[in-house]
Amino acid sequence: MIEPVELKDFFIVFFSGAMIIMSGALYALLFAWSRLQSKPWMMATAYGSYGILFISVLTLGSAAHLNGFWWWLVIAMLVGYLLAPHGIWKLCVGTHTADENAYPPVSAEETDNSETSLKSNSQKEAI
Amino acid sequence: MSLAHLNGGQQLAVKYYIVAVVLFVAQILFGLLSGIQYLEPDFLQGLLNFNITRTVHINAMIVWMLYGFIGSVYWLLEEESETEIVGLKLGNLGFWVLTSAVTVVVLVFLFIQTGPGDDFTRWFINEGREYIEAPRWADIGIVICMLIFFYNVAATFSKGKWSGIAGVLTLDLVALAGIYLAGMFYTTNISVDQYWWWWVIHLWVEATWEVLVGCLMAWGLMKTLGVSRKIVTTWLYIEVALMFGSGILGIGHHYFWIGTPEYWFSIGGLFSALEPVPLVAMVVHAVYDSGVRHSKGNNNPALAWLIAHAFGNFFGAGVWGFMHTLPQINLFTHGTQWSASHGHLAFFGAYATIIIAMFYIAAQYVRGQSSFGPATLGSGWKWKWALGLLNLGVVGMTVALLISGYEQSFIERAVGGSTWMGYFAAQIHPWFIQGMEWRMVFGLVTTAGIVLLVWDLLTIGKSRVVEQSRVTQTVS
Repeated sequence: MIEPVELKDFFIVFFSGAMIIMSGALYALLFAWSRLQSKPWMMATAYGSYGILFISVLTLGSAAHLNGFWWWLVIAMLVGYLLAPHGIWKLCVGTHTADENAYPPVSAEETDNSETSLKSNSQKEAI
Repeated sequence: MSLAHLNGGQQLAVKYYIVAVVLFVAQILFGLLSGIQYLEPDFLQGLLNFNITRTVHINAMIVWMLYGFIGSVYWLLEEESETEIVGLKLGNLGFWVLTSAVTVVVLVFLFIQTGPGDDFTRWFINEGREYIEAPRWADIGIVICMLIFFYNVAATFSKGKWSGIAGVLTLDLVALAGIYLAGMFYTTNISVDQYWWWWVIHLWVEATWEVLVGCLMAWGLMKTLGVSRKIVTTWLYIEVALMFGSGILGIGHHYFWIGTPEYWFSIGGLFSALEPVPLVAMVVHAVYDSGVRHSKGNNNPALAWLIAHAFGNFFGAGVWGFMHTLPQINLFTHGTQWSASHGHLAFFGAYATIIIAMFYIAAQYVRGQSSFGPATLGSGWKWKWALGLLNLGVVGMTVALLISGYEQSFIERAVGGSTWMGYFAAQIHPWFIQGMEWRMVFGLVTTAGIVLLVWDLLTIGKSRVVEQSRVTQTVS
């Protein structure tokens, strides 16, 4: 059912496991920040973080012998971490829009007009 | 300390908070003793054995956090329900029964350290299950006190106003009291015993406690940052769904090696990998909120501890948990100092931090201050140093234990094949001992932090109150 990690791969497993969570969080952080600030270049760094996550997951998969059924775990992590920030962002926008006092920012991907970014929301509040 | 201006629930909460702080101090002191005994096994041998210092250390942690949670719920109960607490006398009775039971249990642990294991000892001395060693009579008392607590919460919300936080909180308390029953019966089969024991340990910690903390966090964010109720409530539902979705079957990572069927490998591995998802959600949401709202807090110490909670939860539960959660590697790490390393950071990061934040929210009201900012606290060096020392101490202990655990998983498990010879080879290895020495150093840093924290909680905002009363007297 499972093939234990080899002694020589212990550090690789620990390190890649930690990197998955760290780069996953960094991806989420930069993704959200990029949308908030309407800075497309930051989105590139977010996907760069996802790239690190991708490599970490494959490294973990290889070192921990995630074969057969366990390959699904690798796929679930790759797809899940990629899509989770998108889903959570939509939920953020949805929940805050529902709140009458909130002015949700519109993502750079959704519009080219930077006036609708957070800056303009601050201006609306000032008005 | 006058509490006359507080409502009934808050006055009861202060009692719970006081005992929580006392037990927090006890946890750290007995942790220090255990740490010394790791390095000097003869220390207090025959007077206060390692099995007792360790038992008191971990039980004090569970119980002070329970006191902190109960106190926090009582603190917000009347405000949230917009009515007076229904069974205040009953709540006070529950407090004294629980506190008396805890005192007797600890004294019995200290005075009767060795003896046979039979029905009598199970009922009156020690039930023998790690983390919940309290004998069965005390277990029954704990359940009764939890039922009183549940009654007070449910009946008060029923009499007053229900809210999203109230609904989630009340349902969570049903699970909190109910799941404890799973750790109370006796079976001769160790696999069956462990199977149910994990229901208490895992499902309490990674399901019901997490939800309780979610409720406190939601309420705390409204209090300290003025976040809208609608938003925190919606996010509470989302977080609860994510936590239950991954956390309940995440129990599988405790079923790898206790004699349960092999399918727990797959279930435990898969759902444990999903457990960090709520943390990623938290990152996105925190960035969104901080960018959109630019909220200013009215209680800096509480806000700082809430931030410490977010980071501690992420690293302790997320990073430290996932590093060794898959069975392919957990085969070598479970039960070593790896688990202790994860446990220290996760318990502190996920629970201790938010309870301390609630202490500060309560302190602000107890001292009658409209805010706990620079205007009222001055430089606030005590709370800042307490925050720094406690976090540094726990992070230092975590890293030190990680080094020892890493060595153990190599020498004892992988090379030594989990034999006694492997165990002792690992225990006397220089890397293990050096890790334990550094753990001791950072344990002392943590102790300095708790001393400052207690001093700060006893004095914060007090001088300002004295100044104000002097001014009032002068004017009049």
